[in-house]
Amino acid sequence: MNLALPVLLYAAVAVFLLGMGWRISWWLRAPAPLKIVLTPAPKTFSGVAVRLAGEIFTFRSLFKGDRYFWIPAWLFHLSLALLLIGHLGGLVMPKVAEATLGLDESQFEHLAQVAGSVAGILAISTVLWLLIRRQVGERPRSISHFSDFFALILLLLILGTGSHMRFMGGLDIMQARQFVAGWLMFHLVPPPSNPVFAAHVILVSVLLIYIPFSKLVHIGGAALFSPTLNQRNNPRERRYAGPWGAAASISKSK
Amino acid sequence: MKAPPLCPNIAANVHAHRAKKEYLEPLGLPAERPADWRAKALDKFRELLHERRSLSLYMDVCVRCGACADKCPFFLGTGDPNNMPVARAELFRKVYRRYFTAAGKLAGRLATAEDLTDDVLDQWFTYFYQCSECRRCAVFCPFGVDTAEITMAAREIMASIGVAPKYTTEVIRKANEIGNNLGIPLAAWKDSAEFLEQELKEQTGKDIKMPVDQEGAEVLLVPPSADMFANADTMMGYAKLFYAVGVNWTTSTYASEAGNFGLFLNYEQLQKINRRIVDAARNLRVKRLIIGECGHAWRAAQAFTDTLNGPLHFLQKPCPEHICEFAARLIRGGWLKLDKSANDGVTVTYHDPCNLARGGGLIDEPREILRAVVNDFREMPADTIREKTFCCGGGGGLLTEELMQTRMNGAKPRVEAFRTTGADLLATPCAICKAQFPEVFKHYGVDARVVGVMDLLAKAIVI
Repeated sequence: MNLALPVLLYAAVAVFLLGMGWRISWWLRAPAPLKIVLTPAPKTFSGVAVRLAGEIFTFRSLFKGDRYFWIPAWLFHLSLALLLIGHLGGLVMPKVAEATLGLDESQFEHLAQVAGSVAGILAISTVLWLLIRRQVGERPRSISHFSDFFALILLLLILGTGSHMRFMGGLDIMQARQFVAGWLMFHLVPPPSNPVFAAHVILVSVLLIYIPFSKLVHIGGAALFSPTLNQRNNPRERRYAGPWGAAASISKSK
Repeated sequence: MKAPPLCPNIAANVHAHRAKKEYLEPLGLPAERPADWRAKALDKFRELLHERRSLSLYMDVCVRCGACADKCPFFLGTGDPNNMPVARAELFRKVYRRYFTAAGKLAGRLATAEDLTDDVLDQWFTYFYQCSECRRCAVFCPFGVDTAEITMAAREIMASIGVAPKYTTEVIRKANEIGNNLGIPLAAWKDSAEFLEQELKEQTGKDIKMPVDQEGAEVLLVPPSADMFANADTMMGYAKLFYAVGVNWTTSTYASEAGNFGLFLNYEQLQKINRRIVDAARNLRVKRLIIGECGHAWRAAQAFTDTLNGPLHFLQKPCPEHICEFAARLIRGGWLKLDKSANDGVTVTYHDPCNLARGGGLIDEPREILRAVVNDFREMPADTIREKTFCCGGGGGLLTEELMQTRMNGAKPRVEAFRTTGADLLATPCAICKAQFPEVFKHYGVDARVVGVMDLLAKAIVI
């Protein structure tokens, strides 16, 4: 049995989880010594929750700034979220998904067929849109680095291989499910023999390893942890002070 | 305003004058760049990464989407790509990646990482002093990445190796040694207060006081020192307002400055200058603290005082209060008799100082006041006001002669918005804006005047 693929996937997931934990703890270890909230801003926790939800789920600030760019940016993230959910339902726990949706097996397969296709096409077209924007727009082009194109092209390849299996067939879904179930239980089952499947898994592994070390680390909570967005605007109502005192440069001058 | 085509390096040759020994040493900064400056700068960088979540997060998460690119007044005014907030931050991030990230250490240029060289330091000094820390870019960033935080960190690192502008350090030295940014000695402050009292007597026929260092007064008013010497109508406006409602108030010669240029250099000075206000309030045994018409002063006082120099238990809340909040409260309560027609014959519009709108949440109160005292009040276009306001071009420590080109470029979007209103009076509660706009109007051939909100309020107050 070919062990390379499942082992690579274990390694990639481990690097991803450890890497993200390392980045998030790096951000959170540093204190936010001053209230630097962008006003107007909510004064309550629930107000902050609404603000953050707006940023994370609707990209509210981006919408305010550039509606034409917001369209591909939001649809791109939406389609990736749908694909993730689809993989979870279709590959990892089909029985749970069927029960949750109240569908029988053939209905579920049909839904997966349609939803997966739509999300896949949406994802590919928005990635292309973002790629073209980085090439065509004068300002986006001037701020784009190799790593910006690398991330988009990697995603394009992942989406391409995924869609290939979706539209061209050749993947035995039952085999894939058994492989995933075995992989999750550390009880390895041979992967589907389809080379496109192998390519897909390898590319996803590369992405997982790449995320914590690149700008893609933003999925770890860029808006959630951002002091300008997650602070309450109440410095006068409630003294903002904390245990960071001894470490912060501000207290050294005292 | 439509974004200009990119003009690489068009603003590369506008620099602030560098501070020499006489301005650096009093602030505890090295008199000249040490031989091991790179190591020292990187140590400071590391220290700040450990101490400011904003910095450590904002270094990592920017995706270079470019939503901020056409939001910066200094980019819109110059077209210099390094003035796009994302590119300005990249000047800093490329060094961050080189020394503090695995990708940058391993992949170097491929990960857009770059050594901290003399050239990079020069770029920092140029472009981090073409940012007014106005935070307009952050409003449109999906992660709230605040370029002002990055600018402040870059300036703090540079200052730690003796690279700082003469203007900012000179002003801070005066604030530390004398108590105000203009360097006006105590005696002159008192003379000026007396002179304005006489002026008020002539204007109104009443004995309106402008108390100085009066212990036991109820309110300590801390105005920007420019109000006492350049914006006399604003200063007299405060006095008339307090007189009209019978509030016992005072100014302090020890804290004769609301402005805090520490915000433009480093946290140490920010805290030190801010402490003067708290000490003055304590020593004068006042009950309330009110801040005058100044933008960054309000951000520093409102958001940071309690954290940096609190607790402020000896003062009544809200502490501090902004003079516009105070006045709006009085108007709402019906405490003031107002005659709007006193401001007839002019068309007024309001300029939101960046630090009031985006740093201090003070957006509606000045408008409430203006609507109550002016018949012909108009707003500038919606995407240029409130939290989307454009910088006047002179904030963030840029209000110096040698940066005039930068200042005029940065003011361009604001002027375009102003022109659409047909107003001939620009009201704004900020001393820096008030100093900047006359130059701007002259430069762009705009026939208009700049006044404070208090100026117009005072005119309308009937006593």
